[in-house]
Amino acid sequence: MNSMDAKFLRSKVENISALPTIPSVLKHISSIIEKPDISLNEISDFISSDLALTTKILKMINSAVYGFPGRISSVSHATVLLGLNVIKGLLIGASVFELMQQSMQGLWEHSFDCAITSKLIAQRKNLKEPEEIYAAGLLHDIGKVILILEFPEEYQKAIHDATQQGITIFESEQNQFVENHANVGSWLAEKWRFPNNLTEAIKYHHAPHRSKYAPMETAVVHLADILVRARGFGFAGDPFVPAIEPAAFELLNLTESDIKEILREMDNSLEITEELSL
Amino acid sequence: MPRIPVDKLEPGMKLKKPVMRGSMVLLGEGTELNDNWIQKIKDMEIGSVYIDGPSQMSVPKDEMMAQLDKRFRNVADKPYMSVIKKLVQEHIEDLYE
Repeated sequence: MNSMDAKFLRSKVENISALPTIPSVLKHISSIIEKPDISLNEISDFISSDLALTTKILKMINSAVYGFPGRISSVSHATVLLGLNVIKGLLIGASVFELMQQSMQGLWEHSFDCAITSKLIAQRKNLKEPEEIYAAGLLHDIGKVILILEFPEEYQKAIHDATQQGITIFESEQNQFVENHANVGSWLAEKWRFPNNLTEAIKYHHAPHRSKYAPMETAVVHLADILVRARGFGFAGDPFVPAIEPAAFELLNLTESDIKEILREMDNSLEITEELSL
Repeated sequence: MPRIPVDKLEPGMKLKKPVMRGSMVLLGEGTELNDNWIQKIKDMEIGSVYIDGPSQMSVPKDEMMAQLDKRFRNVADKPYMSVIKKLVQEHIEDLYE
């Protein structure tokens, strides 16, 4: 596997509908959201045609807009309120929930807590579209799901090596695949026509200084990932907190009391995680 | 001061913080819960409330702190990581109060 060629890997991932290990529901959703001219109505109709999916999506939506007065009870209302990109992100999030739970114990919790934490940081920084940043947090590790599904043995080895050698899963993936989950996730994000800010937050969440279009959003997801691991929530492939990139930390310019407040809000959001057992 | 999920509430527990909806106080601080109040809180779709009493953290504090040290062991000397670690440490201390 060490000789795995990055180009080969990319073409394999991009052709997600041909991957035998990807469940048909994700293939189907993938084929819908990659359409260049997909409209809010079409997405809304598609979600509404599936009762189980509708229930999941509404739970995700209500967690994304937590604090919004009243609960959102219809998909069409949510699509108008949140816009196409957020809905696409949540749709993918809801459809990979079970995959995450099956593929890596704790990855869903990690992803979900990152989503909430990203949104908390975004709100504290008064950024526009905190729900988009929520979606970026939710999907930042989607590349891991694809790698695990496609290369289960190699990925188990990457996890094992990370713990054994005291390195991060990011470094361990790099040894195993010549690529990493952040790049793999960004290939999918591009394929799904996510906007630049979402794609870059996924692609550069381990190297936020490389983000051209969305350095702030990317720094938010980068810090969220670190805080969630620092707090010990979930499992993302290794037991270690990665180092923060100093430039990203400076860009965010949060005070110590901001960070403590975010940590408190994270704990307070825990019960929503329990509620969201989809 | 533990935050208790609504389905774990029992009659006799006392509210440490008021139950609010927006800026409206629904149940004041110190209210002793009975079945009726618990049902009301459930009906309002509130996830959890603060209850008076010792913290109910499932992991002992020492172990929690040891795990924290372990998680940070590769990065403790990296820029800003000591600040982040200190803040998480203080936050966890607060959870046990």
